[in-house]
Amino acid sequence: MLSVENLSVSYGGLRALSTVCVQVRQGEFVAIVGPNGAGKTTLFKAISGTVAPTAGRISFEGSDLLALHPAERAHLGIAHVPEGRKVFAAMTVLENLEVGAFPGAARQQRAALLERIYALFPILAERRDQLAGTLSGGQQQMLAIGRGLASAPKLMMLDEPSMGLAPAMADTIFERIDQLHREDGLTILLVEQRVGEALELSDRAYVLETGHVIMSGTYQELSQDDRVRRSYLGM
Amino acid sequence: MLRDRKDFGLALVIIAAIIIAWMAISLVVDSTYYRLLLTIIPIWAVLAISWNIFSGYSGLVSFGHGAFFGIGAYAVTLGVIQFDLTPWLGIPIAAVLGALAAMVIGFPTFRLRGTYFALAMLAYPLVFVYVFDWLGYQELSLPMKRDAPTWYMQFADYRAYLLLTLGLLALALVANLLVERTRFALNLLAIKENELAAEACGVDTLRWKLRAITVSGALAAAAGGLYAVVVLVLTPASVFGLIASAQAMILTLFGGAGTLWGPLIGATVLVPLGEILQGELGHVLPGIQGVIYGAAIIFVILLAPEGIYWRLRDALSKSVKAAGSTSIAPERPTALVASAATDRTERDRGDILLAVRGISKAFSGLKAVDDVSFEVRRGEIVGIIGPNGAGKTTLFNLLNGLVTPDRGEVLIGGKQIAGQKANRICRLGVGRTFQVVRSFPRMTVLQNVVIGAYVRALTEHAAWDRAREAATAVGLGSRLEARAGSLTNKEQRLMELARALATGPQLLLLDEPLAGLGATETQELMSVVTGLPSRGITVVIIEHTMHAMVALVDRMIVLDHGRFLKEGPPAEVTHDPEVIAAYLGPKWAAKHAVR
Repeated sequence: MLSVENLSVSYGGLRALSTVCVQVRQGEFVAIVGPNGAGKTTLFKAISGTVAPTAGRISFEGSDLLALHPAERAHLGIAHVPEGRKVFAAMTVLENLEVGAFPGAARQQRAALLERIYALFPILAERRDQLAGTLSGGQQQMLAIGRGLASAPKLMMLDEPSMGLAPAMADTIFERIDQLHREDGLTILLVEQRVGEALELSDRAYVLETGHVIMSGTYQELSQDDRVRRSYLGM
Repeated sequence: MLRDRKDFGLALVIIAAIIIAWMAISLVVDSTYYRLLLTIIPIWAVLAISWNIFSGYSGLVSFGHGAFFGIGAYAVTLGVIQFDLTPWLGIPIAAVLGALAAMVIGFPTFRLRGTYFALAMLAYPLVFVYVFDWLGYQELSLPMKRDAPTWYMQFADYRAYLLLTLGLLALALVANLLVERTRFALNLLAIKENELAAEACGVDTLRWKLRAITVSGALAAAAGGLYAVVVLVLTPASVFGLIASAQAMILTLFGGAGTLWGPLIGATVLVPLGEILQGELGHVLPGIQGVIYGAAIIFVILLAPEGIYWRLRDALSKSVKAAGSTSIAPERPTALVASAATDRTERDRGDILLAVRGISKAFSGLKAVDDVSFEVRRGEIVGIIGPNGAGKTTLFNLLNGLVTPDRGEVLIGGKQIAGQKANRICRLGVGRTFQVVRSFPRMTVLQNVVIGAYVRALTEHAAWDRAREAATAVGLGSRLEARAGSLTNKEQRLMELARALATGPQLLLLDEPLAGLGATETQELMSVVTGLPSRGITVVIIEHTMHAMVALVDRMIVLDHGRFLKEGPPAEVTHDPEVIAAYLGPKWAAKHAVR
């Protein structure tokens, strides 16, 4: 579904990513883990078009993403839930969701999508007329995911959804993401600092370090690896 | 922003050289028109410098410096006409009036920010245009005083005027130099970069803004007064009009805002260009001067957004850069970690440092913090945990004065601090860091930290020493000259910590210092925090990374829905069924139950 081939990105001479290859198949849950500064967020930005790669190819369902303007990429069915939530603080919950629902396909299913979002996150229904800036961190994260869902995506990319959340809230968020994957068959690409949870939930994972993919595989395969156990799982 | 004396001396020599060169040029110019031009450029340069001292550093854009310029011009002229007052006294009086006007205008207008501030400033000179028209001062000329020309600043030799304007220019440049090389400019820059953070590390933002606009208003009015003496004829439009206000801003932006030489460069290039084109082409193309300024803005935006000073400097420094840069091996945090060895249990607990009693705050009916009371002893590390939205950050904002409590008391060492402003509370010994790092991104690490150091240090020298010491203590000793914006997340967190340490706190509030950090980085930051009590610093920390919190803190306080829920040692709190239900979740409990 999504194929990243030999992708390289540089910021002013500094290589953030070098020849990175990542494949995501239809219906898969793929996690990307690694320390800070490994290039995880850069990878997401390259896919959604906010940074320009220096080399490589990105294709989504066969079409060349790099040939498309960032705004057009969202219409293909890629939702990016950014790091740090970034909801529109001065708009209401419902307005935030409606902003998410701009692609044509999403507008037609507006009612059904809203119903699904509210079913997953009942608190958003309760607070639909409240300003997003007044929500708690966990509720804002729910809203950010909801906004992504409102675009009726085929692929959802989540950047550190657990960041700054209370343990119980982070558990809830992970449960909902898992639910979206299992019940709705949504394809998921997740970047996460909480490696244990991310690996457990995902079908496959890539380990990214200093801009290189150093390892990839299923949870079973990766959790056998000494290096992963030591540096990421704390075992 | 160098701070050594040699650099300061060099700047003074350059100022003197400019003045002498200017005089020398005047000796070879024999056209009256160009002589007037040579005399008038320094006046506009002084107006631009006055704008620079306020807007250039603080980032609060003033569209209304014509107000101060015009007040000065009218004060001197009306002084001569009505009271027979010599401009030798009139100009200093004008400067005082300009300073007063600046305070009166600044105080209410500082309630506004950004574009709204800029637009409100535009209103003042426009009001004055009509007021002075209405008062009947549509056109005023300075009367000729043939009996005592020198007493009334009327000279036959134009070079006397030139000396006067160059003298004022030298004065203005030295004033700007003093601003730039001291805490004055750094505090203003901190306000420009992040006002909330500046306030939280002890900068009295309102007072600094008032100081800056007062100095600026005085200089602008002095320039206006001298303008009246040189030009002899005044109309409200010529001094209060848009062109005067716009010139102050455009000359500076063109040359480079927030730099010593920028305003002078702007005036030297644009004023002659505008005047000469106006003289040569004004009869065919009226308003050509305005076109020049418009074009200058477009030129600057396209080619040198930060002003041509930086362009020139970059071009010059490129040829020098070949000298090579020295690299220092990264070092470990020194003072803090070395002493961090003391066991948590052995640390002696002192008297009560922080006492919070029944503190409450509601935002439009929603109770963010509801009747919370607790105490923190000297030398403790206390953790505050609770679900998102439990009111933890609001509690910090109440403690350090960013938010005023509706009810309740906050006592530091027995002293009531609730309701005081953040900079005041910082001075009383409460430092803090923010959930999302609030750095001054375009300043260096050392400059960021020195803003905090100014709170305790009396001299520049002491402040920089203190800043260097604090930055080294957290392990940033090799990154002192790096721009804050270029730091990694971990380094930014350490820098914010150093900035708070430099303010000399007794109590340090850390708001999620580990957010977004990986496992090894978390360890590094924790080792710094553990070392704080041995420096006599008490710590209250908000954090969600539970394994770190359990290892770090002596005691935990749990908040839920703005209310106090539980308090106790980590082992006890993390096994409390209520805390597990509200915060930790069943998964966490299942994982850690067997311990």
